[in-house]
Amino acid sequence: MTLLYIALIIVAIFQIYPLVWLFQFSLKSNAEVFGMSPFSLPQDPRWENYVRVWTDGNISLYFFNSVWITVASVLLTILLASFVTFAITRMYWKGSKLVLGLFMVGLMVPIHSALIPLFSFFLKLNLIDHPLSLVLSYTAFNLPLTIMILLGFYYTLPREIEEAAVVDGCSVHRIFFQITLPMTTPVLATTAIINMIYNWNEFVFVNTFISSDEFKTLTVGIQNFIGQYLTDWGAIGATLMISIIPILIAFLVLSNRIVEGIAAGSIKG
Amino acid sequence: MKHVWKKLLLLIAFAIVLVLAACGGDSDEASSGENESGSGGDVKTIEFMHLWPEGSSKQHYEIVEGIIDEYESNHSDVKVEVEILSNEQYKEKLKVLSTSNELPDVGMTWAAGFLEPYVSGNMFASLDDLLEGPLKDKFVPGTAEAYAIDDTTYGLPLELNITPLFYNKAIFEENGVEVPETFEEFKQVVQTLVDNGVTPIALGNKDRWTGSMWYMYLADRIGGPQSLNNAINRTGSFEDPALVQAAEELKSLVDMGAFLNGYNGLGNDEAKGYFINEQAAMYLMGSWDLPEWTTNEDNPQEFRDSIGYMKFPVVEGGEGDKDSFVGGPGVGLFVAENSDVKEEAKDFVSFFVEKWGEQSVEKAGVIPATKVDTEGTDLPQMYVDVLNDLNQASNITLYADVQMSAAVAEVHLDMIQALFGDAVSPEEFVKEQENALAQEE
Amino acid sequence: MNKVMSNKAVIALYVLPALILIVGLIYGPMLLTGYYGLMEWNGMATMTFVGIENYIDLIQDPKFWESAKHSFLLAFFSTLSLAGYLIVSLVLAGKIKGSDLFRKIYLIPMLLSSVAIAQLWIKIYDPNNGMLNSLLMSMGVETPPSWLADTNLVLYAIFVAILWQYAGFYIIIYYAALKGIPESLVEAAKIDGANPIQIAYKIKVPLISGVIKVTVVLAIVGSLKYFDLIYVMTGGGPNGASEVIASYMYKKAFDTFDFGYGSAIAFFLLIITLIVTWLTRKLTATEDEVQY
Repeated sequence: MTLLYIALIIVAIFQIYPLVWLFQFSLKSNAEVFGMSPFSLPQDPRWENYVRVWTDGNISLYFFNSVWITVASVLLTILLASFVTFAITRMYWKGSKLVLGLFMVGLMVPIHSALIPLFSFFLKLNLIDHPLSLVLSYTAFNLPLTIMILLGFYYTLPREIEEAAVVDGCSVHRIFFQITLPMTTPVLATTAIINMIYNWNEFVFVNTFISSDEFKTLTVGIQNFIGQYLTDWGAIGATLMISIIPILIAFLVLSNRIVEGIAAGSIKG
Repeated sequence: MKHVWKKLLLLIAFAIVLVLAACGGDSDEASSGENESGSGGDVKTIEFMHLWPEGSSKQHYEIVEGIIDEYESNHSDVKVEVEILSNEQYKEKLKVLSTSNELPDVGMTWAAGFLEPYVSGNMFASLDDLLEGPLKDKFVPGTAEAYAIDDTTYGLPLELNITPLFYNKAIFEENGVEVPETFEEFKQVVQTLVDNGVTPIALGNKDRWTGSMWYMYLADRIGGPQSLNNAINRTGSFEDPALVQAAEELKSLVDMGAFLNGYNGLGNDEAKGYFINEQAAMYLMGSWDLPEWTTNEDNPQEFRDSIGYMKFPVVEGGEGDKDSFVGGPGVGLFVAENSDVKEEAKDFVSFFVEKWGEQSVEKAGVIPATKVDTEGTDLPQMYVDVLNDLNQASNITLYADVQMSAAVAEVHLDMIQALFGDAVSPEEFVKEQENALAQEE
Repeated sequence: MNKVMSNKAVIALYVLPALILIVGLIYGPMLLTGYYGLMEWNGMATMTFVGIENYIDLIQDPKFWESAKHSFLLAFFSTLSLAGYLIVSLVLAGKIKGSDLFRKIYLIPMLLSSVAIAQLWIKIYDPNNGMLNSLLMSMGVETPPSWLADTNLVLYAIFVAILWQYAGFYIIIYYAALKGIPESLVEAAKIDGANPIQIAYKIKVPLISGVIKVTVVLAIVGSLKYFDLIYVMTGGGPNGASEVIASYMYKKAFDTFDFGYGSAIAFFLLIITLIVTWLTRKLTATEDEVQY
């Protein structure tokens, strides 16, 4: 047992170290970031990196954009993905396998190959430099993954309650919203975390589709410190630290839901 | 099974309809979009994309803002709308925009090879009228020419750089070595440093263009500037004995252990870190890094004082002389051919180039491609020296990867990394590049 | 019962919005990519139809096959690593003290963006000042390897970083699946005298086999189109030793303006992925669960 704990703690150090490293990194100058041992503590902590990032980087504006675009995309993705997974695993119709296949193939498209066609597509819809282009892209590109993950869980969930509800004369919508969806809370929280992280850190689409500052997201704030000849790594570290805090909080909150959901689910099951 | 296929076809058809439907709506939307920025209102908007973000290039950014403010206050009917991206993202976005013919009215480009596809696609407007008109004789000779294709100029350079070999005087002194004049002496310096356990040269060859500069200098010193240029412009061949010999000399440096351990896996930023932390004695880099050795407060004063530079040593019996440099213009401005405010855009570019030239050295440490009047300015000595060298240069050879078309440049850069990594022989090195160049003829 | 659950209007309402989104935003671009693959196009004005020339070049392109080999290796290692992630998840989902805290810590790397992860691993692998080599040297290794500059090692060095990066992703999926197993089943096994390892192996793992299969597909598909860290850490180098299909495609399309060829690579990659996924599903399909 002690051996197990030692192993767990060693792994834990490996996993938490990057955060500590990032924090040190954010207080260093370029000269310290490069060349000096990465273990070294910042000689003269540059808290001004944070001040600079906040003032030069337009961070407060990007921050808000990141939040609402991420939240909107995550909600939309999870709702649509749950609908589809429910329809595929619980309802009876021809072509369900085909539709599932279509979603799975969607998983396989690398985003860089879709970039140019997507750009011209949004251009034609007049959605370039419009946040909707981001929400729609994030949703579309995360749907396949989300559906795949949900699917694995839906197959393991007991169907008895739903079947009983049908016998009681429940409508499909009520079954979906009041029985199935609550039962899947753990996996919803899981997919929400994954989606949230992906959307929050995404920058290829933001860079390509958005040109006005008013719609750009936090990842663009990082780009602000990468220059033609000089890159300010300390400031990038500070931006990364700032951008990780909200997602860390959201993660901790959602992460608890994974356990809570089960408790609720197992009472019913 | 048949049903499944039918449905699949139906769905694909549906997708196509969706795409086409979107295309149908296009024409009116696009034209209304143009009205917004074009002749519709009283105020004309010039979209301007550049790559100097406030975060990493504060001085550059502020000069740009200042010029725009001044321009807008002189022209009440014009508004300049700025979009800023970092280097890599800028290049990527420009390519995506060009596929839809949606380039900004004014943007930044690089010379020669980078510009070529945009010109052949008729994306950039000719700027000859500016060169013959308001900007006549403003540029250092040879700089704007790097942006010309078939005698038409499509870009106006903002920067001009040469590539000095920077070295750490303190390290040289500690190891009792002198600044070498010839390549033989240079090799002795390297050998002494290696023997003393000091890394002679910081090099981040993950980025490959860094290693290319070493090769270019050796090619220049051995075969003179024409041998490499002729190989690229196809009046000569890459299998020129001088170009083979340059590769051999480079290999001998590699074999001596002249370069920082692990150079092929290190980026330029990391390699520079070694030089700044005084863990390497020399660093071959463009004069755009001058602020690092002069004004950048992040680097200790003591370190900055100990940095000097030398001209690349000559090879005995070689054709090239000491005043020949690798370098050339950096970014320049283009005007989009399909811009609907083309005249205003050109006028803005002309204004920008002139104002930039007046301020860039003093405020941002950037040597502009327009002629600089150093009198009355208060510049660090190293700037004055570099500017003098620039004026007395016998030749400036444009960076090979900039001269070449994108596809050939990729081969060149790959070969550089392979040569440094001991994966090809000097003969294979020139052969591959000769083949790539010949294929494009 | 079937009547309620096969209501066409409801099915359409549930499926169509998502379907339209992926058909428009994924299938549309995908078909266009296939179409561009038949063109010679530098991304500017004119496209020239060249038929399957790009594909013929591709099949004869040794660099492409080299990168394909690397992608397949990555897929292979990613799939193997799933076993490790599963074991960690089984431990964490068990009733040990502090498992909640451990789980949260284990997932932290997943929150970092690729920029941060790439920088961290660049620092770890730095040949002279890096964490790994500092450690090796302090342990008495005189000339530790230059991880990212050594053509024989670079690929594996990057794989380690990728496997580490994705640990959180798979652990969180397995963890949620394991927590979904009804307590009653585990309790029953305990009463029958099964030890924790037997419970894990005989009860828990089979119960989440559906989820495991999903993760196998995710690992393979994700690896084949993987791009991020490799592009930042080595750019596919040195000498193409860490090039993968997606980074090769990006270079062709965006660095050398060969959009036609780049699109052909992308389309070919899609087809390879489809075939591999299909094979995987055939191989892992069990009699009772061929349904997904």
